[in-house]
Amino acid sequence: MTPDGLVAVGLLGIVAPAIPGVAVKTKSLLTGRRGPPVLQLYADLAKLVRKGRVYSRTTTVIFRAGPVVALAALIVAALFLPLDGRAAPARFAGDMVAFAGLLALGRFALVLAAMDTGSSFEGLGASREVTIASFAEPTMFLCFIALVLAAGDISLSGILGAPLAAAWPHAGASLSLVGVSLFVLLLAENSRVPVDDPGTHLELTMIHEVIVLDHGGPDLAIILYGGAFKLTLFGVLVVSVLVPRAGLSGPAALALLFAGLGAVAVAVGVVESVMARVRLVRVPQLLVGAAALALVATILQLR
Amino acid sequence: MTLVAVGLTLILLAGLAASRQALFRVLLGAGCLTAAVPALAVLAGETVSDVRLAPTTPFGPWVFGLDALSAVFLLAILSVGSACAFYGVTYLAAERGRRAVGAAHLLLAVLVASLALAVVARAALPFLIAWEGMAVAAYLLVVFEHERREVRRAGMIYVIATHVGTLLLFAMFAIWAGGTSDLSFRALAAHAPFSASRGGMILAVALIAFGLKAGVVPFHSWLPEAHAAAPAHVSALMSGVVIKMGIYGLLRTAVLFGALPPWWGWVVLALGALSGVLGVVWALAQHDIKRLLAFHSVENIGIILLGIGAGVLGVAYGHPLIAVLGFAGAALHTLNHALFKSLLFLAAGAVIHATGTREIDRLGGLARPMPATTLAFLIGSAAIVGLPPLNGFVGEWVVYQALLRGISASDAVQFAGLAIVVLALIGALALACFVKVVGVMYLGTPRHVLAINPHEAAPGMIRPVVVLAAACVLIGLVPIGVVPPALRVGSLVAGLPAGTADVIGTTAAGPATVFTVGLALSLAVAWGLYVGLSRRGGGRPMHAATWGCGYPTPTPRMAYTASSFAAPLLDVFRSFAGVRAHRTAQAFATHAVDPVLDGVLVPTWRGIRGGAAWLRHTQRGGLSRYLLWVGAAVVASLLYLLAGGRTP
Repeated sequence: MTPDGLVAVGLLGIVAPAIPGVAVKTKSLLTGRRGPPVLQLYADLAKLVRKGRVYSRTTTVIFRAGPVVALAALIVAALFLPLDGRAAPARFAGDMVAFAGLLALGRFALVLAAMDTGSSFEGLGASREVTIASFAEPTMFLCFIALVLAAGDISLSGILGAPLAAAWPHAGASLSLVGVSLFVLLLAENSRVPVDDPGTHLELTMIHEVIVLDHGGPDLAIILYGGAFKLTLFGVLVVSVLVPRAGLSGPAALALLFAGLGAVAVAVGVVESVMARVRLVRVPQLLVGAAALALVATILQLR
Repeated sequence: MTLVAVGLTLILLAGLAASRQALFRVLLGAGCLTAAVPALAVLAGETVSDVRLAPTTPFGPWVFGLDALSAVFLLAILSVGSACAFYGVTYLAAERGRRAVGAAHLLLAVLVASLALAVVARAALPFLIAWEGMAVAAYLLVVFEHERREVRRAGMIYVIATHVGTLLLFAMFAIWAGGTSDLSFRALAAHAPFSASRGGMILAVALIAFGLKAGVVPFHSWLPEAHAAAPAHVSALMSGVVIKMGIYGLLRTAVLFGALPPWWGWVVLALGALSGVLGVVWALAQHDIKRLLAFHSVENIGIILLGIGAGVLGVAYGHPLIAVLGFAGAALHTLNHALFKSLLFLAAGAVIHATGTREIDRLGGLARPMPATTLAFLIGSAAIVGLPPLNGFVGEWVVYQALLRGISASDAVQFAGLAIVVLALIGALALACFVKVVGVMYLGTPRHVLAINPHEAAPGMIRPVVVLAAACVLIGLVPIGVVPPALRVGSLVAGLPAGTADVIGTTAAGPATVFTVGLALSLAVAWGLYVGLSRRGGGRPMHAATWGCGYPTPTPRMAYTASSFAAPLLDVFRSFAGVRAHRTAQAFATHAVDPVLDGVLVPTWRGIRGGAAWLRHTQRGGLSRYLLWVGAAVVASLLYLLAGGRTP
């Protein structure tokens, strides 16, 4: 574990709340509104942390542990991503399984916290969340398969780092498809349009928002920050695949990464302004479509 | 081997002393510990020489031995067996005087001993004797509550399934020996290499026979029936260990067979994918906690088969690393599944004991009255889903590695890499299913008013569960402690010298250990920071009712049910989910059916019985009718000859 890598993860953690802000700003501007400031989430977090706490009488310690475990898992997951485009602070053979396992751990904790309230709305949201994840996770591994095939390495540092950069000249088409597939995955995993609508206000139509309905104050702050961090992690995946940065110096690679994250956030905002949410029963089809893209990317590389 | 023999004798003695609880516990515990010592030593790299029973025995020498493959299964048998036996003493205490509790303890001891004997046997005959002892003891334990009709039905299905399997094993050994009378494993291994047809027969029969024992789809139908009918600690032992004997059989076959053909690997891989996905989808549809856990055994057998499939393909196509990792992952996941599945069954048994129902939709909010059971079940759930830092993750990670390394191979093994997608799908669906179970059973509010107030289980039932949970956490935290022995097993099955895999094993397991320990520490630190900061934040938290969309008086009936929770996923898989949904304006319920048992086996059996009933009309017992048959036969033969038929 290098100090540079840890500094990069720290920077990522500081920048994370701005990423959903950029998406919201883009959407607002495109739909003719002024919208909240890009840095609004920082103010929201500062406000929430100072608030008091209210817990349902039904809940147990699982309700309180949910957000904490979810955020801790996401932060550990970030250690496996090669932010400087070359090597991650933590790496071992098959560490993408650990990465996916950490995302699953976070989901497990949050969804159980939702079930802990005994509310039918939160049960509904929990059920939808795990349903969508059941299709998102295989899609993610299909993307990893295509990347392993391109890079010839079985760690995230390999398939997103220097070996991937070396594979771009001969596997460019395939890698672009993986990038698109990962972007759809980003939308689904982070509850964005067209899978979920972060701006919705009716419990029956929500997915992620309804899971956190009973969380408030500092707990909600942790969840909101965790949500922004997760969006950023998936953004890093997309940017790492599409913009290999192995040839650049550390600071330049980081700068390019953050620029790329901004671009991804703008793309999310554009998608949200031009599309409506698809019906819930169509969501699996959307994800299977993304999986098909990754499968095509895999087949393109078979020799 | 002496220690194993002493241990097994002690276990059998414990069975005979079943009427005295304290003595039973001491003898059984001592027996399991004694026999576990050589198993641990072998896994650490020592070798134990084989033992020959007597100068002359039927069908060749009766040899017993302990290698790494036997040792890992022996360890699972002894740890799970002792936990289940200890638990059973308390679990059945209330039944004393009403049912044959002493006999149940004796049978459990016999079951553990015959399981252990089966994995150390090195000749076909003692292996089959132990195999049959295990089947009979398990059957008698399944029908413990024999006054209930469905229990007797489940017992009958189990007996049929297990005996079909045993018959096929007889056939397999007969084909394997090919007329020679020496059935010791050494002699059998010496018959290799086989012609394609004879080898194919052996492998196909082995797959069906051992697949029946393991509960591989489509041979799984007996499994949920038997597991639901048996007492909790017997279900735990069956699901944790007995079905694993099928896996042991497949791995032992692979060791003895030598050069495995590629087709077998593809078939095993396909069966693994089928069992894994269908097992978890069917589990999602269940509302009976024990049937649900039983279908998860089908799922995990699928994961294990994916590992074995990768291993066989690695052997067949000449990739030693993939072979070792695949078999090692299968062995490790077998041990892990034994631990967490028995934990889940025992914890579920505590719930059934405390509430009197197996229907998860009737339960809810058990985390308050049963905190220890809830915590143990939660750990078991996270482990079976494969979440880090628990043992399920470590085993699945090794299987994933085998498949990931397959992707970069330059031959057909590449396509085996696509099984990763199946593995990911299984993992995500298992997560959905266990969120459903934990959420509906232990969290939220009670969904029905139960006849009895739920209470925490007795210490005698909690302790074994806690020990199993601790084992799950411990294995999860130190991959470096378990991966190298698993790789030793993998090298043995792949037919490679023991040292080849050690290097790769430690280079990958070291960082993985840093990861799991680091993750556990980060979780602890995060929780400590959270508690510390929220305490300093001043102001005690307020308590209120759950937000009900403005509705002020929520009732238990408004709580989300397991049917509703699983509905979106089952809708996607509806064509083969084996679910019948009952939808009315006010209510929604799903009812699970087993496509193989209810769709194929039972109708086939009904057809045979219907045909036989029709045939019965020919056998009325009257002499005139039999004379008529004789006359008709003569006329028919004459007509045949007249029409130009030849005499034989």
